[in-house]
Formats: sequence, structure tokens, C-alpha cells
Amino acid sequence: MNEGNLSALLPLIFFMAVMVGISIFVRHKQAGKNFVSNYFIGNRELGGFVLAMTTVATYSSVSSFVGGPGMAFQVGFGWIYMAVVQVTAIFLVLGIFGKRVALLARKLNAVTVVDIIRARFQSDFLAAVAAFVIVLFFCGTMTAQFVGGAKLFSAVTGYSYEAGLILFGLVVVVYTSIGGFRAVALTDTCCALIMMVGIVLLLHYVLEAGGGYSQIMTTLEINNPEIFEPFSFGNMPWTIYFTQWLLVGICTIALPQSVVRGISYKNTQGLHQAMLIGTVVVGFMNIGINFTGILAHGVLPGSAADYGGVDNIIPTAIVKAMPPELVGLAIIGPLAASISTISGLLIVASSAIIKDVYLHYAEKNNHVVTPARVKILSIAATAIIGAAVFVIALTPPSLIWLINMFAFGGLETAFFWTLLLGLFWKKANRLGAMLSMTGGTIIYCATQAAGFKILNLHQITIGISCSLILFLIGSYIGKRSDDATLEIFFPKN
Amino acid sequence: MKKNSGASMSDAQKFSLVKREAIYTGLALVGLIIFWLIAGFGTASLDVKIFHLPLWALLGSIGVWFFAIIISAILSKVLFKDVELGGGEDE
Repeated sequence: MNEGNLSALLPLIFFMAVMVGISIFVRHKQAGKNFVSNYFIGNRELGGFVLAMTTVATYSSVSSFVGGPGMAFQVGFGWIYMAVVQVTAIFLVLGIFGKRVALLARKLNAVTVVDIIRARFQSDFLAAVAAFVIVLFFCGTMTAQFVGGAKLFSAVTGYSYEAGLILFGLVVVVYTSIGGFRAVALTDTCCALIMMVGIVLLLHYVLEAGGGYSQIMTTLEINNPEIFEPFSFGNMPWTIYFTQWLLVGICTIALPQSVVRGISYKNTQGLHQAMLIGTVVVGFMNIGINFTGILAHGVLPGSAADYGGVDNIIPTAIVKAMPPELVGLAIIGPLAASISTISGLLIVASSAIIKDVYLHYAEKNNHVVTPARVKILSIAATAIIGAAVFVIALTPPSLIWLINMFAFGGLETAFFWTLLLGLFWKKANRLGAMLSMTGGTIIYCATQAAGFKILNLHQITIGISCSLILFLIGSYIGKRSDDATLEIFFPKN
Repeated sequence: MKKNSGASMSDAQKFSLVKREAIYTGLALVGLIIFWLIAGFGTASLDVKIFHLPLWALLGSIGVWFFAIIISAILSKVLFKDVELGGGEDE
């Protein structure tokens, strides 16, 4: 790996070293506290700013920084108009689930979303299915992050794909394994801040290299009139707008990696702050990076195909617009989006295996698990899942972005109604949740595999509709939840 | 401090409050969707440009973002109340 741009590598090495340093510091500070609560939810100590940043950083993936702005380059302002629906993501999940999940987690001593599902529906089978769905789809999403980040690294620095994977991929697995949720939250905060700095830097240099805002826009008005039309002369059909409202807007409230943040904050003042800060930050990132994608026409006069497709627009713009000594700083932003998503998913996937499956069954069978063993197993589970995804990413599967969106839709189909109706509707019961989660997910996967669509809409529309129908059928024909459970979730006193 | 500290609330009152806040959030979403439709598609036929941007693109991006910030501020600073979460974790 000696053919690349060393000056581009050094800032990244420094950044990753800081991430590992934070993780070791957190591990040291947490010594002696309740390990499970600390490792998986940071002992419920997050303040408003960190809560906002970790929720945004986990939600914003590498595709938000690479594929998205590349599409904006090709499609125009219609893409920003579609992508801006993501400003709902933070205030919706914290506003709808934030307090309810926090109250329940403290009542039930719950550490994971699956803990709450198990308690609500009194079903180990449903909890096991939920844990399985989380690990399965998270692995797909994490693979996409690894591959996307390593490809970007390779394109911008000139070093190999494998070198990028080792540099940022292995390091994120190491620091997540060592520091747990608290380290994830703090490193996510650093990542979110660096993402914003990266956007501002890139925007500045793209404007400068393109001859200024007025010149770029005037040229676009003459050469690319489709960019100024909401349907982009047919490139942005209404079906994309509709499904994106579901896929990256409304249904994201049920993503387990977002909902678990409701268990982790300290008090409701922090939650209220996070709703506002998160909305400001997610909108800034979304509009900023996609607008930069459009303005990249100023430095990239050809079509997306001329640069190897939409995924290469931002890497090429970085290389062409920025001074070589700042290239390393510029790619930290998108790579930060990648590693913050990986770390957020990794810790939830690990909790699904250790807390939701292993510890639950040990407790049920009266097996005593020592704190030292829990600690070793938790760290090992995090490291093993991360290492497994790392190995998959070494030989990257094709159509990786489709896998990412497939996983997103699968998680939403499985958890949306189970959480929303389960936590807000007394008549929701075990049969409804089981049918919804298993049936909805299977139908979603089957329609994806068969390529079956209705009105050319993304399969999330089929998955989420079937999931609702099955939930309602199950809830009306199944047995009502027992009074003790209902008193916990819907107290009368 | 105009907000209810929530210290003296019963469990039932806390859950009722949280449910009401969730409904407010749902209504805020409906309001945002309506604003998004009007700001973008609703103004797309107007031949107005500001800073080289068509009005629909400006309102449909930065306009929607500002509207979401206002909504979040109203929810978090006016409609949402502080609640003691219990479990010994509160300040």
C-alpha cells in the first residue's frame, strides 16, 4: 500500500486513533459499574447533545454522503426535495417513543428493545425472532457501510480497498468492542461534528473550483434544465417520493438502533433538547451534502456515467476540487458516517445475542453467569459479529446499496407495528405481534426476492401493509394480554 | 419554569401525558407533510426564482427544514412536559 497519497492518510489515522482513545477512556471510567447496563446502554446517562448526535450519526450512513449526493448530481433539486423528508426522523422517534420507552425500561429494568417486546407480549419466541431479525438485517447494513467506506477510501487516497477496510473497518470493531454503548455515543458525537465540518469544507472548495455559486447555477440553467424540475423530466417519478416518505421518513421511527436511544438518556430535559438539536443537524447534513452534489457540476462537467456512476461523484469531486493536503480531512466526513452507523448497529446486534438470548435463557434455566463471564462474552460477541461482517466485506457482494435498502425495509416491516401498536394499543396481543413480525418480514423478503411490486412502489409498501393486516387479524382473534402486563404498559393508577 | 416537573405524577398520569405527546408528534408529522406538499409541488408551477433557485426548490428544501425546526421547538419547548422517569436515574 505504498502507491497512495500519504497526506490523505494521516488525518484519518489520527481520527481513528482518537476514536480508540475515547473508547479506552470510557472503559476505564466505567470500571466497577453494572457491566450490562453500562456496556449496552451507557447506564442511561446520555445528555441532550450527545443523544441528538448519536441518533443522527447512527441514522446517517455512508450512502447519505456518497450515493445520495451522487443522485442529486444526476437528478437535481427533486432529490433534495425527496431527501429532506429525513428531517422528521429525529423528532418523530424521540417524540413518539422516547419517553414511553424510557419509562418502561426503568420499570422493567430493560436494557434492549427486545426486552420491552418480550415483556409486552410475554413471548420468548417473539423475542428470539426479533433478536434474529436484528442480527440478520444489521449484518446486511453493516456490510454496506464497510464496502461503501472502503471503496470511497480507495478512490480518494489511492490506497487499496483492503487497506481502507483494515484501517477504518477493524478499528471501529475494536473500539466498539472495548468501549460499548457509551463509547459509541461519544465517538458518534465526534463523527457527527466531523461530518458537518467535512460538508462545509467540500462545499467551500466545490464553489471555489467551479467559479462561484452564480456561475455554476447559470451554467446549470442552460445545460441541465431538468435539475430545476421536481420530476426531473421523468427521472423522479411520484413513486420514489411516496416510498421514500415511508422508507427513510415515517417508518424509521421503529428502527431498533434508533428506539434503543430512548432507553439510554438521563432525563426528559435532555430528550427535549435532543429533538431540537437533532432536527437542526439532520437537516443541515441532508441539504448541505445533497446541494454540494448538485454544485459538483461546477467541477465535473460530464454526466454521472462519465465518472463511473453516481457513487463516484463525491469521491471525484473531492479529488478535483480540494487541495491535496485537505483531501484526508474531507474523506473523514463520509467515513465518519460509515463508522458511526457500524458502531451503533454493532452494539445493538451484540446486545441481541448476549442480553436477549444468552442471558435470558441462562436466567430462565437458573444458570449463574458471573459478571466477569458476561463481560468477556459481550466483548467477544461484539468483536465476532464485527469480524464476520469484515470478512464478508473483503469480497464485496454486488448491488450493495440495494442490500442496504433491503435491510432498512426489513427492519421497518418487522418492528413498526409491533412497537407502535404494542406500546400504544391495549388490544395489541402476542398473536398479532407474532403474525406481524414473522409474516410481514417473510412476505417482504419474498416480494424482494421475486422482484414483485405494486404500482412500481418499493416492497416496503407491501411489507408494511401486510404486517399491519396480520397484526390486526391476530389481535382480534388472539387472546388478550393479561391484566398484570397491561397494568405495566397502560397503568390505571 | 413553566413546565410541570412531573415529580408528583402517578404512573397513570405519566403514561397519559406521554400518550398525548405522542399524538402531538403525530399531528406535527401530518402538518409537516402538508407543508412539504404545498411548499414543493404546490409552488412548482410558479415562475419565481430566488438566488437562482426555483421557489419550489427553496421552499421544498430549506423551507421544509425550517418548518421542521419550528415544529420541533414547539413540541419540545411548549407542548412536552418534563417527567420524572424513575429508577433513580434522574437528576
